[in-house]
Amino acid sequence: MELLRPSNVDQLDEGVYIHGGTEVVPLLRDGILSGERLVDIRGLVPRGVRDATIGAGTTLAELEVDPQIPAALREACRLAASPQLRNMGSIGGNLLQATRCWYWRLKYPCRLHGGDTCFAREGEHREHAIVANDFCASAHPSDVAAALLALDARVRTSQRELPLAELYHVPDEADRNVTRLAAGEVILELELPPVEASVYLKAMDRKKWSFPQVGVAAARAGGETRIALAGVAPVPWLLESADALASGDEWATPLPRTEWKVPVARALVRRAVAALG
Amino acid sequence: MASELIVNGHTYEVRAPVGASLAHVLREELGLTGTKIACNEGHCGACTVQIDGVPALSCITLAHAVRGEVTTIEGLRDHPLVDAFVKADAVQCGFCTPGQVVSAAALVAANPEPTSEEIRHHMAGNICRCGTYPRIEEAILHWRG
Ligand SMILES: Cc1cc2nc3c(=O)[nH]c(=O)nc-3n(C[C@H](O)[C@H](O)[C@H](O)COP(=O)(O)OP(=O)(O)OC[C@H]3O[C@@H](n4cnc5c(N)ncnc54)[C@H](O)[C@@H]3O)c2cc1C
Ligand code: SF4
Ligand code: FES
Ligand code: FES
Repeated sequence: MELLRPSNVDQLDEGVYIHGGTEVVPLLRDGILSGERLVDIRGLVPRGVRDATIGAGTTLAELEVDPQIPAALREACRLAASPQLRNMGSIGGNLLQATRCWYWRLKYPCRLHGGDTCFAREGEHREHAIVANDFCASAHPSDVAAALLALDARVRTSQRELPLAELYHVPDEADRNVTRLAAGEVILELELPPVEASVYLKAMDRKKWSFPQVGVAAARAGGETRIALAGVAPVPWLLESADALASGDEWATPLPRTEWKVPVARALVRRAVAALG
Repeated sequence: MASELIVNGHTYEVRAPVGASLAHVLREELGLTGTKIACNEGHCGACTVQIDGVPALSCITLAHAVRGEVTTIEGLRDHPLVDAFVKADAVQCGFCTPGQVVSAAALVAANPEPTSEEIRHHMAGNICRCGTYPRIEEAILHWRG
């Protein structure tokens, strides 16, 4: 295996891109990712916050204490992973982290690995999705992505600019990818529009260091409130409106052992909206 | 691929192939076995080292990708926290302790008088299966003796 360290986008070769490595290194070790070429992209991905622009190489630890960052994103970073992981992990890498579905991590030949079964639907799925879970029931694990989605962030890559929502794709028979990043494309920056108030609330297995069972981000800008959820769908999930939850539970299609997430989501959405004032 | 590693002020040449973890190189190549490997997948904090003073998990850090100076528990031998851990009896089996001290040393360097709440936030990535948490907190609260 070789390790390349390009210092600008023009020198970028294809290979396994690695930033903080918190996700890549375990996946390489488990044989879920493979390749003869590792490309350390830290030399070309911007790091740090300038006005409303966040370098994709900025660590979660840097963001959690940065007063320029809206509350929802700061809090999502502060509640994510562990201190060491937040020191190492970049926000760009966080957006592209793979599912924590244990079948997928244990290399079961499930739909997301190209097979024709979702083992979680039939088997153990306590942590899994309650919406858009028909094909693959995995639950997106990123607190940060939910916060950025509520904040209506835009993504600048080496090839284009797009709203964060368009970075993600609910996997289906035809396309099993969870993100729409092209081969060789790197995320360079995130752009945040102005926001009046924002908040992130997270239900966890324990008080520290737990993936979101359900995470709810809410942000108000120009009189509109955007609400996005982590841990409920294979991708970060934007709610059409808070009222969608208030009027009943039709919005969700939980599996037998994910029903408990529905009232948790409803309660957190209510609290998040109330917290916006 | 040749690569240099600075650990506790000494410079070493890494011989392991690309893909080897920093924890592996520290323990197997450099003989610095104070850094422990427990889960080997980023979940427990036993392998914590500092890179340019910042706590990182050496089991999921590629040795060849390290760009800063590494400090391991061996480099913190004379840190007052070591005595503080002994005084507070903050050790049972001791397997997590090197990682605890490495994390705590970075905390007190940035914030010499952390509150209990700050200690709990900053130390949350170091799991202690023996449950010595209250004593670890006490050791850090009184680290200057
Ligand atoms: C034990 C554990 C617990 C965690 N808990 C949480 C949690 O509670 N909440 C949460 O939100 N997250 C959690 N995470 C996720 C963690 O925050 C991410 O792993 C981390 O932020 C990834 O950043 P990285 O720089 O290490 O990415 P890497 O591991 O280097 O890369 C991750 C992926 O992104 C790609 N990549 C990285 N940067 C770029 C870029 N700029 N452009 C294109 N591709 C890129 C890589 O090729 C790879 O596919 C947890 C992770 C672990 C291991
Ligand atoms: S939930 Fe998705 S990742 Fe998990 S087993 Fe089903 S198809 Fe695979
Ligand atoms: S051994 Fe590195 S985190 Fe557990
Ligand atoms: S003292 Fe045994 S794991 Fe912490």
